[in-house]
Amino acid sequence: MWKKGEIILAFYINSKKIRPEFKRMVLRKKIIPWLFLLPILLLHLFVTIGPSISSIYYSLTDWSGLGTAKFIGIGNFQQLWFNDKSFISAFSHNSIWLFYCIITFVMALLVASLLAPLKKGGIAIRTVLFIPFVLSSVVTASIWRNLLNPDRGIGAQLAKIGIYGLDKAFLGITKTSLFTVFFIDNWHWWVFIMVLLLTAMQNIPKELYEAARVDGVNRWQEFRYVTLPGIRPTLFFLILMTGIWTFQTFDYIWILTYGGPAGSSEVLGTLVLKNAFIRLEAGYAAAIGLTMSLFSGILVSIFVYLKKKGLEI
Amino acid sequence: MKKLLLWIVVLMLVATFSLVGCKTAPEAVEAEEVAEEVEEEAAVVEETPVVEEEKAKIVIWGDTVDGDTALTGWEEDIIPQFLEQNKNIEIEYTQQPNVHETTRTALLGGAGPDIVISYGPSFASELAKGGYLYPLDDFVKEYGWDNVFAPWSLTSYIVEGSLYALPDEIETLVLYYNKTLFDEKGWKPPTTIDELLVLCKDIAEEGIIPFAHCNAEWRPANEWFVGEFLNHAGGTQVVYEALIGQGSWTDPSLVYSMEILNEIVQKGWFTGGLDRYYTTTFDEQLAMFGDGKAAMNIEGTWSICDYPNYFGEEAGNSNDWDWVPMPSVTGEAIFDVGIGSVWGINKNTEYPEATAKFIDYFYSSEVQGRLLSGVMGKAPAPVELEEKDLKGVDPRYAEILLSLSKAFEANNYGYTTWTFLGPKSNLYLVEEIEKVWAGDITVEQYLEGMQEIFSEELEAGEGLPIPVR
Repeated sequence: MWKKGEIILAFYINSKKIRPEFKRMVLRKKIIPWLFLLPILLLHLFVTIGPSISSIYYSLTDWSGLGTAKFIGIGNFQQLWFNDKSFISAFSHNSIWLFYCIITFVMALLVASLLAPLKKGGIAIRTVLFIPFVLSSVVTASIWRNLLNPDRGIGAQLAKIGIYGLDKAFLGITKTSLFTVFFIDNWHWWVFIMVLLLTAMQNIPKELYEAARVDGVNRWQEFRYVTLPGIRPTLFFLILMTGIWTFQTFDYIWILTYGGPAGSSEVLGTLVLKNAFIRLEAGYAAAIGLTMSLFSGILVSIFVYLKKKGLEI
Repeated sequence: MKKLLLWIVVLMLVATFSLVGCKTAPEAVEAEEVAEEVEEEAAVVEETPVVEEEKAKIVIWGDTVDGDTALTGWEEDIIPQFLEQNKNIEIEYTQQPNVHETTRTALLGGAGPDIVISYGPSFASELAKGGYLYPLDDFVKEYGWDNVFAPWSLTSYIVEGSLYALPDEIETLVLYYNKTLFDEKGWKPPTTIDELLVLCKDIAEEGIIPFAHCNAEWRPANEWFVGEFLNHAGGTQVVYEALIGQGSWTDPSLVYSMEILNEIVQKGWFTGGLDRYYTTTFDEQLAMFGDGKAAMNIEGTWSICDYPNYFGEEAGNSNDWDWVPMPSVTGEAIFDVGIGSVWGINKNTEYPEATAKFIDYFYSSEVQGRLLSGVMGKAPAPVELEEKDLKGVDPRYAEILLSLSKAFEANNYGYTTWTFLGPKSNLYLVEEIEKVWAGDITVEQYLEGMQEIFSEELEAGEGLPIPVR
């Protein structure tokens, strides 16, 4: 019978023999992958995590962006959530923008479902449709600023042939400015959603469609009972990302309307910039940024909760 | 099999590098020979040591928006002429995109150019309070800058008793008009606000747009019109008292001034309507003005350099422009004073004396005159300029600058908002006026909000020093 000490000694001696192999295995499977990831993780730490943590600190201070920051606790958040009308207005515009994104998804789903079964010419059509996406926002904004010119643009040309009502300066009217900017932004990026949905549709097994046709379904029923369930994970993911991106809307607003006229297209992104760099209230801007992250976090939490509840998303 | 393939790949790589080494061998030999020659020369140099004074290096950042004309002006005129007199100084001038934000980021990191150019006194004030700018008091005494600059112009750059920055690019706003159109129609340029309103009505009845104004490409353009009407229809003394906290932005004369502006806007006298005001570009605006589709333009002296592109044969018309002071309630000629940019010295500069020397050269009347008339068409700093310094300048522009100088001496000046208001007040003034124009708030509510924000800034010590009137 082995005594305890002999067992430990035997294990040690034996482990000395198996240790090198064990060590190599641990090194290969556990440590080396992290070493490969380390450079990008360090970069991420310095460029993203570090500033994010400092942003949390600065949101609790009265800071102009220069010099020392004075700690004021939750003063910025109190002002922001309870007293700042421009914040409420900007948040409502972001929410309206999210609602407008229904148009993006309807367009993307429709075109993707039309393109999915296409064998000839599908790639060419996709390529042409993708052109707006590769243009920069400055170029796209410039193009549409001219196209929407009430004297020389599309509306003016239509008016010449008797179609009236579109020769207006939509970007300069408070009631239409936000939707007009959304329209231009949507022109730019709807095809991105479409391409992802198209890829998801093309991964649906063809047998399901064949089986459905055998059962005598029409095109709409095919879309509803085969296509939609088949692309559900991609669709929900894109809805989640769209929700998050909506709160980050900035570039087209800034280029085309600066948040105007009369604040009618102000969004949280432009509010952050104005507070940080024009009003020189960087601490307050950090509080707005953190609030935007909170909204995104809520969306992600809803997504995770639904997934845990068993919803296939 | 996999191991064999791996060895083949390794051997191929080794062979490839070897061949590269062979190919560069003659170059390597040549490099060795050159290196030997350099070593011999260095040895000769070492035998005869020469004491070389270290050159002071000044780094200056301009903005890419200034364009190639400015870059050429710096590289071929300003810098070489200075270096001829100062052989122990080296200057590096580059243009950065969005230079103010680039400079701010660099300063926060302890770096940045030696000369810090910022776009306004409020930003310069924040830099000074944050400890990023070098105090200039000693240099003021050494170079006599208090005698070089217009007395009023240095006040806004004093922080806690020390001067930290110097103003550049003096600006004012006037009423430009299409002279050819006015002559054709027999219109007389207005001197009072009442005359202006009557004239606008006459112009509109002719189917011509009274004002070519827009803010599509520069939203803060609102501050031009708000500032002009506050000062000229409300009164410069009232504005002054509001600025120093002894008066109120809700003064009835200032309410009147904003109501006049609102009336003009509601009648569509700005570019034919608010929607057009918000969507017309500068190019379209000036084309409208040059072609005679619009009769007048309230804008700053910075716009004069664009007018040759829109008036005259080159622009495809036979029109000409002229100017009058922006009308006032009494008819007196008033000029609102503005500063376009501000210069300071980086607190971490290694060569503050050399930098100050360059600044003194840059702000001399001779250089300012050269910059204005030929080199870059750049607006001068608020320094004393003589008529000889204005040689080559459009006589209309020269007349504006001389009139501005005289107006200041006679106390007939007003306050541009971007020069004399703190950042929060100025942003409020620019943005909220659109809500007045949209009918969302009244003029009284607008000015009450202005008073509230201005008072907060003043109490927090974020207001700017105002020259004593």
